[in-house]
Amino acid sequence: MGFVFDISLLQLTMVMMAPLIIACLGEIIIERSGILNVGIEGIVTVGSVAGFLGTFMMGSPVLGCLTAMMAGGILSLLLAYFAISMRANQIVVGLGIFVLGLGLSPLSYRLAVGVVQSPPQIKTLSGVPVPLLGNIPYVGEVLFRQNILVYLTYFLVAAVAFFLFKTPLGLRLRSCGENPRAADSLGINVTAMRYGACVVGGFFLGLAGAYLPLLITGTFTDNLVNGRGWLALMLVIFGRWMPLWAFLGALLFAYVDAFQFKVSSLPQMAKAVPPQFLLMLPYVFAMLVLVKVASGAEAPRALTRPYDRESRE
Amino acid sequence: MSAAPPRVEMRGICKRFGEVVALDRVDLEAAKGEIHALLGENGAGKTTIMNILSGLYRSDAGEIRVDGRPAPIRSPKDAIGFRIGMVHQHVELIGNFTALENILLGHEGTGWVLRAESQRGAVEEVASRYGLSVPLNERVKALPVGIQQKIEILKALYRGADILILDEPTTMLTPQEVDALFATIRKIAEGGLTVIFITHKIKEVLANSDRITVFRGGCRVGTVRRPEASRELLVQMMVGEREFPAGAGRPGAVASSSAGPPALSVRDLSLRNADIHLLKDVSFDVPAGAIVGLAGVSGNGQRELAEAIAGLLPVQAGEVTIRGRSVEKLTVAARIALGLVLIPQNRIDEGILPSLSLAENFVLGLHPYIFKRSGFFEQGTAHEMARIAIRDYNVLTRNERVPSAHLSGGNIQKVIVARAMALFRAIGGGILIANNPTRGLDIMAAAFVHARFREVREGGGGVLLISEDLDELCSICDRILVIHSGEILGGFDGPDYDVYRIGELMAGVRRRQP
Repeated sequence: MGFVFDISLLQLTMVMMAPLIIACLGEIIIERSGILNVGIEGIVTVGSVAGFLGTFMMGSPVLGCLTAMMAGGILSLLLAYFAISMRANQIVVGLGIFVLGLGLSPLSYRLAVGVVQSPPQIKTLSGVPVPLLGNIPYVGEVLFRQNILVYLTYFLVAAVAFFLFKTPLGLRLRSCGENPRAADSLGINVTAMRYGACVVGGFFLGLAGAYLPLLITGTFTDNLVNGRGWLALMLVIFGRWMPLWAFLGALLFAYVDAFQFKVSSLPQMAKAVPPQFLLMLPYVFAMLVLVKVASGAEAPRALTRPYDRESRE
Repeated sequence: MSAAPPRVEMRGICKRFGEVVALDRVDLEAAKGEIHALLGENGAGKTTIMNILSGLYRSDAGEIRVDGRPAPIRSPKDAIGFRIGMVHQHVELIGNFTALENILLGHEGTGWVLRAESQRGAVEEVASRYGLSVPLNERVKALPVGIQQKIEILKALYRGADILILDEPTTMLTPQEVDALFATIRKIAEGGLTVIFITHKIKEVLANSDRITVFRGGCRVGTVRRPEASRELLVQMMVGEREFPAGAGRPGAVASSSAGPPALSVRDLSLRNADIHLLKDVSFDVPAGAIVGLAGVSGNGQRELAEAIAGLLPVQAGEVTIRGRSVEKLTVAARIALGLVLIPQNRIDEGILPSLSLAENFVLGLHPYIFKRSGFFEQGTAHEMARIAIRDYNVLTRNERVPSAHLSGGNIQKVIVARAMALFRAIGGGILIANNPTRGLDIMAAAFVHARFREVREGGGGVLLISEDLDELCSICDRILVIHSGEILGGFDGPDYDVYRIGELMAGVRRRQP
């Protein structure tokens, strides 16, 4: 069973993990402020097309990523406006954003690229081994012979965890998600905190979308995101709204995903097992693990509850 | 010294919520070093005016001055700027944060990195100055309510509040905790701070305040100094010219306890959720013709006990008998038919269907008994019955067709009590279990509900009254049981109760310390 710990399999795991955890971090930031963003799949999808088009048209992955972040931020701002200022039902608004994003993405792709025989390609990022660390046998090869976006991912996981739990601003953000009235009575601007969380979280969601063409496919297809946004939404629960636990969860799911990918490319396996079965594996795994883990997970207390200072409860 | 302006001065404060006038041109002032009590029934406007002072609500008209200078307070942040701090009735802490995090929130100190530990000294310094020792590292949700309240007070003081507002600070506390709280308040006032506390309990006001302002119906009735106040004067100011319902007073002897089986008998009832004992070997009787009170700090198994008896929660062990008949494995409906009526704890979530009309809500549960003949829903009968209930119970509503969600909490509770009493009559008596039936009711309405309970007792029925208000229990119950962590720790016979001993048991102290 040396295959299970194969270096290339684990390297692929890290690549698969990156977009998942980036989306997950964005969602954690948003949910920690008390807003449930179920539009995540739509926002990530818009991020993926924006990232692809930005890179394709401007020729720079950096500009592509920035385009995706802007798109994610704007769409998330829309959610924020309805959820915070209009105090709308967050599930309804979120589903609306999801559908909007799902429709907007292929539309903007066709508008920009047109209907073509062979889809345009961008170059996926190539690996940049970290000196010294990349030479550590096995662990170093898995973790530090990656491309720049994967390294960015490591950094962002640590940064978001630090922000949430070790900074005054993080404490305030969490207080808005737990008990906005208490936060308000201490002079914290709940509305501003929630808007800020939505926009910054939206940047993450957009970036997660851009990862897909830049890291994995090099092209944009209609079902490129393929449920990864929903998976990230579940990972937030799996990780109990904590970046490091979510990171662990993302690794787990990415591994199953990568495993599925590798196995289905082995000729002897392709005959024995139908490919659909293998494709299904990560999702079945997701359900089984979540049923076990999600029971007892505690969401931010004020999640999905709009805040109205003068409401009399 | 007479020239010094009052510490806080509010002039002509008005506030409306939709059509409801919550405050009508109210004036208020409090001096430095004073303990000022705001007394009034629920809905009199006490909390609303303090929410305005603390910046949570904005007044529609009026002026606030602090130390004689105008204080335009538009948000809690402004209020903090004027050194005003408020402790709300339901503690506004963040359960998942530690006590220290709660205290520092919003005042974390400078820099980008949270250095909670470096602020600890400053917090502890304030705590020791006022004798408010709290475990700073514990998560707040694991702490008892009395401690949570101390954390709230400490939070306000740490922010430099020198006008401290406490909204109904004693509702959830045991008598011992109440004494400790007022000792703290006295200490704070002696330090030169102004303390304003809101209450509806006259006893507390007389024992612990320097001046008293009484509210009624959104207006200030008047302000009296403690030496000039008396119980009678304050009651009269609170209630006005209305007639107090008959039947109030000390509990009498048990009407007819010896005859027949008890109305309710519970033996060794146990209920567990995973490893947690919600109820542990609970045994007691409610004799026919008696009101038995169940005292305890909320969340100690009262709700589970009521629901287990009613058949809403399955039990692991134990036996429940109603009027001598075992109810084992009987459905809720069958238990009702045997004579059991429950007034649930949470009136909005468990008591009514908010979007249905008052009449429809009123016949809910009664329907098997009143529509017996035709088997159909009879609009006429339902409306007629609801109209009678509205009249008898003095429910404030336009008519019986309005959705019940439009009623105020107190009026909803009246409807629920009226329905329970009607059901109780329809099934021919038995046992009435009432879980906090008077919470949020004004004095008149509460006295009215108590009078109904007395009627049940006189009619030979049993009442199990669950309440967090020890004064209420002492005033009406023939016997008081104390529950703590799902166990009955003791029983006391009336009419004269040792509230301190009961308080000890409520706090889980089984034996008196020598």
